[in-house]
Amino acid sequence: MSVEEVESTYSRRTSRWKFILGLLVFALFVTVLISLNVGYAQISFDKILAIISKEIPFLNSLVDSSWILPKDSAIILQIRLPRIIAGVIVGAALAASGVVYQGVFKNPMADSYVLGVSAGAAVGASFSLLFGTGVVIFGLRIVQVAAFIGALSAMFIVYNISRVGARVPVTTLLLCGIAVNFFLYSIVALLEVIAGDELHAIVFWLIGGFSNVLWSDIWAVLPFIIIGTVASYFYARDLNLLALGEDQAQHLGVNVERAKQILLVLASMVTAAAVSLSGLVGFVGLMVPHITRLVIGPDHRILFPASTIVGAIFLVICDAIARVVATPFASTLELPVGIITMLAGAPFFIILFRKKKQSYAL
Amino acid sequence: MAKLNLDGVECRYGSVTVLEEVSLSVKEGDFVGILGPNGSGKTTLLKSISRILKPYRGTILLNEADIYTLRSVDVAKQLAVVPQDSNIGFSFAALDVVLMGRNPHMSRFQMESSKDMAVAKKAMVLTNTWQFAERPINELSGGERQRVIIARALAQEPKILLLDEPLTHLDIVNQLEIMDIVKELCVKEKIIVLAVFHDLNLAARYCISAIMLKKGKIFAAGGLTEVLTSENIKSVFNVDTIVQRHLVSNSIFVIPLSPQKTSKYKKCSVHLICGAGTGTALMRVLLDEGYSVTAGVLNVLDTDFETAQFLKIPVTTEAPFSPITEKAHKANLAMISKASTVVLTSVPFGYGNLQNLAAASAALERGIPTFVVDEVPIEKRDFTEGKAKAMFSDLRNKGAEFVKNQNELLSLLNVSVENLKTAKEERDRILNHLKPEETRKEIEEETPG
Repeated sequence: MSVEEVESTYSRRTSRWKFILGLLVFALFVTVLISLNVGYAQISFDKILAIISKEIPFLNSLVDSSWILPKDSAIILQIRLPRIIAGVIVGAALAASGVVYQGVFKNPMADSYVLGVSAGAAVGASFSLLFGTGVVIFGLRIVQVAAFIGALSAMFIVYNISRVGARVPVTTLLLCGIAVNFFLYSIVALLEVIAGDELHAIVFWLIGGFSNVLWSDIWAVLPFIIIGTVASYFYARDLNLLALGEDQAQHLGVNVERAKQILLVLASMVTAAAVSLSGLVGFVGLMVPHITRLVIGPDHRILFPASTIVGAIFLVICDAIARVVATPFASTLELPVGIITMLAGAPFFIILFRKKKQSYAL
Repeated sequence: MAKLNLDGVECRYGSVTVLEEVSLSVKEGDFVGILGPNGSGKTTLLKSISRILKPYRGTILLNEADIYTLRSVDVAKQLAVVPQDSNIGFSFAALDVVLMGRNPHMSRFQMESSKDMAVAKKAMVLTNTWQFAERPINELSGGERQRVIIARALAQEPKILLLDEPLTHLDIVNQLEIMDIVKELCVKEKIIVLAVFHDLNLAARYCISAIMLKKGKIFAAGGLTEVLTSENIKSVFNVDTIVQRHLVSNSIFVIPLSPQKTSKYKKCSVHLICGAGTGTALMRVLLDEGYSVTAGVLNVLDTDFETAQFLKIPVTTEAPFSPITEKAHKANLAMISKASTVVLTSVPFGYGNLQNLAAASAALERGIPTFVVDEVPIEKRDFTEGKAKAMFSDLRNKGAEFVKNQNELLSLLNVSVENLKTAKEERDRILNHLKPEETRKEIEEETPG
C-alpha cells in the first residue's frame, strides 16, 4: 500500500472494525442456528425458527405455532438451546480472558488457566463430585459453586505469593501459577485415585463439556462473564501499550500496576465463571486469541471483541461436532467438547501458523 | 512551561545504593547531557525521573508537584522517554506505535482523532519514518525502530524529553539528524531535554549544560564547557583526553588518548626536528612506545609546539613567525647532542626554518643516528629556491637513514625492543590459554624471566 493511502486507511479503521464485528456476530447467529439443527432428533430449520420466535416478545403473536410438537419445542428450548448458549458464553469468556492474559504477560504460552484458575476449579469440582453429590446451594449444583470458589481462591493465592511490595512482576506470576498448578493437580490426582465410582464424573468434568446444562446454571454465571468481559474491554488500549513493555506503558501514561491488577482479577473471574459451567475446556483460551491475531492483527481494540466472538463460534461448532459424532450411538455416549476443541483446533492453528509465521512474532 | 527539580534523590536496588544526593534544577529550553562511565547511575537517574524507580529518599518535582503523586497520564502529557532499546511484543505497524504516543491525550473510550493522526504523521515525517508507517515494527531494523520510538515520544508533545542513550543503534547520519531534530525542539519549543550520552563528542555538540556522574554521585554539573574538561574526564572516566574547541563546528570536542602504556623497557631518547604539525602524531606514538622525546626548533604557536606543551615534551623554541636565530639553533644543537637518535619529519622548509636542516646535518656530523621521514617529496616542500633540496640531499650522503613513513620509522626504531616484546606477549598468551594450574606453573618455571 502506498504511503498516501495509509492515512485514509487509518481514518477508515473504525468502520472497518465495525464491519468485521458485524460479520462475526452474523456468523455467530448462523452457527447457533445450524447448531440447533444438529442432533439425534430431526427438527427442520423452519420449525426451529418458529419455536425460537415464539419465545420472543412481540414476535410471538406473528408466528403460528400450532404445527409445532411440544416434544420438539422442549428439545430445542430445554436441551439444545441452553447447551448452545453455554457454548457461546464459555467460548467467549475463555477467549476474552486468553487475550487479556497474553497481553498482560506478553507471553505466547499464556492462556486462561495461567494463574492456576483451572487447577483451583478442578480441586473444587473434584471434591464436590466426590463428597457432595446432589447438594444444592442457592439452587445451584454444588460442583458449579465449588469450581468457581476453587478457581478464584487459586488465583488469589498465586497473586499474593507473587506480590513484591506494591508490584507484581509478571515472570514471578507465571512461575507461581505453574507451581500452584502442579500442586493443586496433585491433589486432583489424589482425589482421582481414591474416587472409585465417581472417577468417571471427575474425568468428564476435567475434559470439559456441556451435558445437562440447565438455564439456571447459565443465569448464575452470565453476570460475572458479561461484567468481566465488558470491563476488560475498557482496557483494550492499555493492553496495546503493555505490549511495548511495562516501563514504556508507564511512560505513555498507563498506571501499569493498577491496570495489571484489574485486568488479572477480571480475567480470572471470567474464567472461573466459565469453567464452573463447563469444566476445563482446553485450547480455546490459548489458541483462539492467537488465531484471531494472525488474521486481524494485534490491536486489542479489535482483537479483544473479535476473539470473544470467534471463541463463541469455535466452541459452538466444536460442541455441534461432539453431538454429531455421538449421534449414531444415540444418547448413550456423551462426547466431551474439550476433546473436540483440541482435536480440531490444534491442526488448524498449526496450518495457519505455518502460512503466516513470517509476519508473526510475539 | 515545564520545570524539573530534583532534591537529594537517593535510589536503591534492594540494599544497593546506586544514586546518592542528586540535586538538580532544570529550566525550560535546557539541553542537559548526563555523562559518566558504565554503572555510574545515569540510567537509574532517568528511571527515577520517569517514575519507574521510586527514589528511596528525596523528591522529584515536576512544575512544583511531586512526580510520584501525579497520575501516570498527567505525567505522560509532560514527559516522554526514549529508552535504550525497545522490544515490542506484538507486530504493531510503525504508525500504530507512534499513535500510542497520543495515549495520554485521549480519554479511555476515544479513538484517535484526525488531530492525533496529524501529530503522529508530523512526528514520523520529522524522524524520517513515514515511508514505512505500515510496516510491522518488529520487521524494522534497529535504527529504524529507534526512530519510530523517537517519533512516538515526539507524538506525546512533551515538555520534557528523556533520552537514554538513544543513538546506540543509529549510524552517524541518523545520529546527527535525530539530535538535530531534538535540538530544534529544544530551541524552538523550549522543551527540556535530558539525555544520557556515551559519546562525549555528541554530548559536546548538542548539550547546553551537563552533569557528570561518578559512582552514583554528581561529580560535576553546570555549563557544558565547565563540566566537560579534560581534568573532569580524567577523574571520572580515568582516561587522558584533549578537549578543544573545534574551529569549524565551534563546539568543543574531546579526543581520547589511549591509556598511557607504561613501558618497562627504558628506551633511548629521540629528538624530533619537525614543525607545522608534522611531528604531532609522532610525539604521542614515541611516548607511548617508551621513548623520551625532545623537539626543536619550533616556533611558539606552531601546532607541534602546542602538542609538545600538552605532552610536556621539552622543546627549543623561537618566537612566533620568526626565523630561527643563532641562539635558538645553538640551544637546539645542545639538545640534540643529548639525544641518542634524531628524527627529521616531512616538514616544509622556508628561509625561516632552514637552520633545522643544518641541525640535522650537524647531528650526523656528531655521529648521532638520524632518520629522515620522506613522506612528501622535498621538491614539494622546498620554499627556498632549491637551497633546502640541496641540504636535504646532502643528508643522505652523510649517512642519514631515509624512511617512507611513520610506521617504517617505528619498526626500524623498535627492531631490537620489539623482539623482546613479542617474546613476552607470546608467553603471556600461552599462559592465559592454559587453564590448569599445574601446567601454568610448569611453563612459568620453564620460561626464564
